[in-house]
Order: sequence, then structure tokens, then C-alpha cells
Amino acid sequence: MNEQDLRKMVEQLVEQMISKEPSVVGSDVTISTTPAASTVKAASNETKTTTIDPNGCIPDITKIDIKKQFLVEHAKDKEGYLAMKAKTPARLGVGKAGARYKTITMLRVRADHAAAQDAVFNDVSEEFIKKNNFVFVKTLCKDKDEYLTRPDLGRRFGPEELEIIKKTCGNNPKVLLVVGDGLSSSAIEANVENAIPAIKQGLQMHGITVPDILFVKYARVGAMDAIGEVTGADVICMLVGERPGLVTAESMSAYIAYKPKHGLPEAKRTVISNIHKGGTTAVEAGAHAAELIKTMLDKKASGIDLK
Amino acid sequence: MREELLSVGIDIGTSTTQLIFSKLIIENMASSYTVPRIVIVDKEIIYRSPIYFTPLLSIKEIDGPKVKELIEKEYHSAGIDKSQINTGAVIITGETARKENAKEVLTTLSGFAGDFVVATAGPDLESIISGKGAGAHTYSKEHNTSVVNIDIGGGTSNLAVFKRGDVKDTGCLDIGGRLIKLDPSSRQISYIAPKIQELIEKYHLGIHRGDVVTKEKLMPIIQLMVKGLMQSVGLAPIDADFDKLITNKSIAREERPECISFSGGVADYVYYDVAERGPIKDSFQFGDIGILLGQAIRNSPLYTTMQVVKSTETIRATVVGAGTHTTEISGSTITYTKNTFPIKNLPILKLSLEDEEGGEAILREAVKRKLQWFKLDGDLQKVAIALQGKENPSFKEVQAYAKGLVEGMQELIQRELPLILIVEKDMAKVLGQTMYYELGYKKDVICLDSIKLDNGDYIDIGHPVAEGAVLPVVVKTLVFN
Repeated sequence: MNEQDLRKMVEQLVEQMISKEPSVVGSDVTISTTPAASTVKAASNETKTTTIDPNGCIPDITKIDIKKQFLVEHAKDKEGYLAMKAKTPARLGVGKAGARYKTITMLRVRADHAAAQDAVFNDVSEEFIKKNNFVFVKTLCKDKDEYLTRPDLGRRFGPEELEIIKKTCGNNPKVLLVVGDGLSSSAIEANVENAIPAIKQGLQMHGITVPDILFVKYARVGAMDAIGEVTGADVICMLVGERPGLVTAESMSAYIAYKPKHGLPEAKRTVISNIHKGGTTAVEAGAHAAELIKTMLDKKASGIDLK
Repeated sequence: MREELLSVGIDIGTSTTQLIFSKLIIENMASSYTVPRIVIVDKEIIYRSPIYFTPLLSIKEIDGPKVKELIEKEYHSAGIDKSQINTGAVIITGETARKENAKEVLTTLSGFAGDFVVATAGPDLESIISGKGAGAHTYSKEHNTSVVNIDIGGGTSNLAVFKRGDVKDTGCLDIGGRLIKLDPSSRQISYIAPKIQELIEKYHLGIHRGDVVTKEKLMPIIQLMVKGLMQSVGLAPIDADFDKLITNKSIAREERPECISFSGGVADYVYYDVAERGPIKDSFQFGDIGILLGQAIRNSPLYTTMQVVKSTETIRATVVGAGTHTTEISGSTITYTKNTFPIKNLPILKLSLEDEEGGEAILREAVKRKLQWFKLDGDLQKVAIALQGKENPSFKEVQAYAKGLVEGMQELIQRELPLILIVEKDMAKVLGQTMYYELGYKKDVICLDSIKLDNGDYIDIGHPVAEGAVLPVVVKTLVFN
């Protein structure tokens, strides 16, 4: 039972299907249309004239705003239902076909599920890390599998990595910003470029500057404790991808702690969760995080100690 | 976190003056794992004054000192000192708003009633306040429907249409219970309002000041008033009489609201069921035509064909609205670099969407150009700039907003006027910080969000609450005729 092997298998299968159909090789037909096209051919031998538009594609159903999609037929009060739907991303008012979902609903659930899986299994791209001048480090995890099965390793670094961290952050920095992939690489790519400048600007208001930003691959939230331990930072703010769900795969959290060390009780971390375009926006969360960091420095506390 | 705000509501109406004290309870409704979301969670009325007749010096002037005396007395009997008051509103309504000294009386009273007690006037706001006080707004939200509330007072009828909790439209008609006054015992007419006099003459109803009248004699003019109300909600075709009865504007007639509710003094007799509560002893007991008007409405299609909702307040709807529904709470992530509150009577410069969407340079020029509108004798006044903002802005977009605004507001900076921004979308904290950065941290900035404003509105901003996280805000109009 290995997700990666399964994915490879599916990829091979799809590849074989494409190579059986010479007319589409090299074209950018989306995978889903190809089997359909070949079935048509197999079903009736005479239809040699089937034309395939190499640029054609089906509309992206994930672009539909679920809050505005209403599939109930003959609704008594559509407007009222939509007013209710505007308040929740839940899949309400999806109608039915017999006892089941309609096709579009079923496809959308699968598409959202796929996006969630991709968010977990994909890596934050190297170009993204380079573009943002992040300093790359990795926890003790060898690969995604180990990352998912061994949370403890996602909180620790090898000696070489610790050296890089020390070199990057210096001794006893006031504030460190750290980015960790966590369970959603999509969340990181969608939000950090807007959140980080907002945090930096907010801190600058109080005369606080931050050293270079670390990017931690295979990161659990606890990785900030290891970084706090070796650097002696006063406050660490770690932006980390949240476990994706069907509502969004792009949700990020900012975990902020005062003098984090190994064994830090979770209650001492302050968190801003649900940073995504449908939740707290990245820029506003960044501005808020900056203020929280300042408060922590003033009160020398974080988490429930701040309340 | 749970905090209470003590709020006062004072209504100086055509015929009555009233006061209430209420508690507004604010709480952070967000979990500990997200940004705070501080909102008003509950409202509780803790004191209601008796209903006084509004003291007048003459037909054109309010007796200011007498009103002040009444209010002083009520503060005393409620055992509340003005220093305890956090927020509230004094509203001058109906015909009283058209008195010569309405503005002075209002300003004196608001200062006297508490530091952050807002002075307000204007028929549209009055309609909204009374409709909310009557519970029409809550009913429309809870029952997922549309409700028109008609607040029928002594001098005017204020209409407000609510659809699913949102204000859709407002209107005001010169129809009220005290437009004809008479002696309760002799039944001799002592006053007829000018517009009513015109109607009487037009239809040759033969009603004059000084006449001793009967119910039957008055019914035709009362039916004309009922017709006006029916026309306003689309139950009768418009004619010239209707245009005459409109104070400033009426409501749109295209979409008739599903429900109707009544408030104001006359409403007590709209809801009065003779079959259940027995005959009304004396229709002229208040020395006016209020009871007759109320019962005539009850017997009209307004009551018989529309779905009637019982309002939660009748004669006190406006004062309850003023005390409990005027204060809003700003968004919970905002910027203010200095506590200079309260700031009162700020006029609003609302930017258009085109101004906002064109980028930095267009925004800058729009702000510069529109600021000129707020010059009085060539002198720029205090003004708050309102904009819609973006749903999910990038940091670069925020920077463009900040730069455009700061450059556009140079004239305010030169004149050492405060920089106040009010955004509809949730982006005030980052926008305020970015502007502060652009200003080199040399000029203070106030940037609030989650408040919707329009040109012509005024805004008052109170002392920060909830450990400084949010600001109480009152959006209002100031219209005196």
C-alpha cells in the first residue's frame, strides 16, 4: 500500500493508452479526453473521420465557486438557499440524480480530493525557494513516506543542517521567520510571497529586522523548537502548510512561539490558522502576525501565557 | 473576552421625547487559532424613560433647555452618570428636525449626554433606525423574507424595507397622528399641518382650525392619509396627492415586500384589535387623530392583504433603534498609530470602483480631485476616505493602494489633518501599516475595515474597546431642512 507506487502504476497505464492512439501523440490533449476518444473509435469502426481538437479541453470544474453553484431543480426559494450557501463552503444544494450525487458534484469531490493529495505529495519547487532567496534545509526525513510516517523525524535536523541554520540565523536573533512545507506545498506557494513582506514591514515599524529566511523541507511544526534550541531566538514565526481538505488545499498556518525549545508545550504556541484566499488573507494575516510578534517580545510570552 | 458597552439612545420626535439605556455586549467569536473576530453578540435594554411630549418654544423652535432638563432627570433616575456612557445616539426626528434650532439643540445634547454620543438627523437614517428598533430587520433575516416597516409618528411616516437582514430601501412621507390636533374634551381643532390643509382644500372637506369635529367628519382626510401609505408600498396607483405627501423620497415600488410591520405611536392602534380588547373608549383621548389613523390602517388593505408582522417595539422603536442599532464594531484587524478618539462628524469621501481599479496613478489623482469637493472657502476640512478594497489582495496591490492614497492625500498631510481610511474588505491592518511605512512613520494613520459607507454619510469613531483591538463606529447622516 504505497501511494507513490500506485501513482506510478496509473501513470504507466495512462501512458500506454496514449501510445496506442497515434493521432494524439505529441499533442496536448488532456488525458481524460483520450480514453473517451479511443472508445468511440473502437465502438464503431466506420467512424474514421473522428476529429480531435488538439487544443480542446473540458472546462476546469474546480474554477466554479461552490458557494454560488446551485443544482437543486425546481427549488422553491433559490435566492434564499443561495443566501444561506453564501455563508458556508459546504456542498449544499447539490441536487441529486436518483439516490446519488449528480455527475458534476461527484467529479468535483474527486477533483478537490486530488488537489488535496497533490498538495501533500508534491514538493515546493526549487525555483520558488530560489526566487524568494530562502535558505534550504531538510529535517531528518529521507522522503515523503518517512515524513508522513515518522513525525518525530520531521522535528529534528542532522548536524550539517544545524550548522547551516546557525550560520544563517546568527546567535540570539530577536525574530526568525521560517517557512516549512508541512502537509501542503500548495499552501506555501500560494501564500508566503504575500505574507512575508507584510510581516517584515510590520516588524520594521518597530525597528525589528529579520535575518535570511529558512525553508525547511519535510517540516513539522516542532522543527521550530529545534531551530530555537540552536539559535536562541527570542521569537520564531513559522509559516507551514496545513493538512489540506476538500474546501481548500491552500491553507497555511503561522505558528509563533516565544523562545521555542525542545519539549515546548503546544499550549505555548500562538497560531493563526486558515490563511488562504477564502479565509484570512495572507497580507492581513502577515500584518497581524507582526503585531503578535511585537506583543510577544514585549510580554516575553506566547500561547496561553499571552491571554 | 467579554465586554459591555453602555449605550444611550435619545429620540426627540415631532410629538414625543424618549430615552433608553442599553448594554451592548461584545465578544471575540473566533477560536483561539485564528485572527480575532470581535462582534456585538447581544443587546439588552436596561432602562426606559417615560414618554414625554417634546417641549417646544413655538411652532418653529424646540425648547432646548427644557429637553436638556428632561434628559438630566432621566440620567438621574436611572442612576447613570454621563462618564459611564460608552456610546449612543441622539436622533432628532420627524418635523422636529425641521425646526430652526434643531441643529444647535442636537449638538448641545450629544455633548451633554456623553463623550461619544452621536448626533444624527435625516429621514433615511430615521427609517432604518426605527425599522431596526421595531425588529423588522431581525424578522426579515430570521424568516428569510422581506419586510417593510412603517414607523408612523406624530409628523412623519418612515418606511424601511429589509430583505434578509439587509436594508434595501428607505422612504419618508408627511403622514402622522398629530398633523391635526384638537382639544380632547371639546374636540375643537387647534392645529392642521400645512400639507394636510392643502389636501382638505383640494377635496373641499370643509375642515378648519377652530371647528368642533366628529370622527365621521375627519374620516375622509384620514382615508387620504391611508391612501398615501398604500401608494408607497404599491397597493394603490400613484397620483398627484402622493407626490405632495413625500418628505424627501419614497421606496421603490417594483418589488412589493412580502411582510409589513408598524411602529411609532400610531402603531399601537394599528395592532389594537377591538374584537379582542373591547371598543376604544375615546378616539380623541390624545388630542389628535392618531387612534383614528391607526384603526383606519387596520381596516385597509395594508393590514388585510399583506402579511402583518407584529413589531417588537411600537412607540419606542426609534429610541430603541438609536440606543441599540447605531453602534457598529470595526473589523478586528485594523491600524491606528495613535489614540486620538473620539473623532466626530467626519464626512465621507467615497472613491468609485474605477478610481480604485485603475492602479496607483489613477487612485492618486482621484483622491486629489475629490478632496477639492471638501473645501469650504478654499479651506480643506477633516474628511475620511472610504473605499471598497480587494477580496484577496497581493502585497504588491496593497503597496499600490498605499502609495496612491498617501500621494493623493498630500494636501491633508500639509494641513496637518488626520489621515483616516475606511475600507469595506478585510485589509485595513496591512493597508494601514503600508501607508505608515510610506509616510516614513512620521504621520499617524487610522485605517479601519468591515464598514460600508457611501457619499453623504458621516462617521463617528469612538475610543478603542476589547483591549484596543476594535473601534466602535457610528455611520450616520446629518440632514436638517
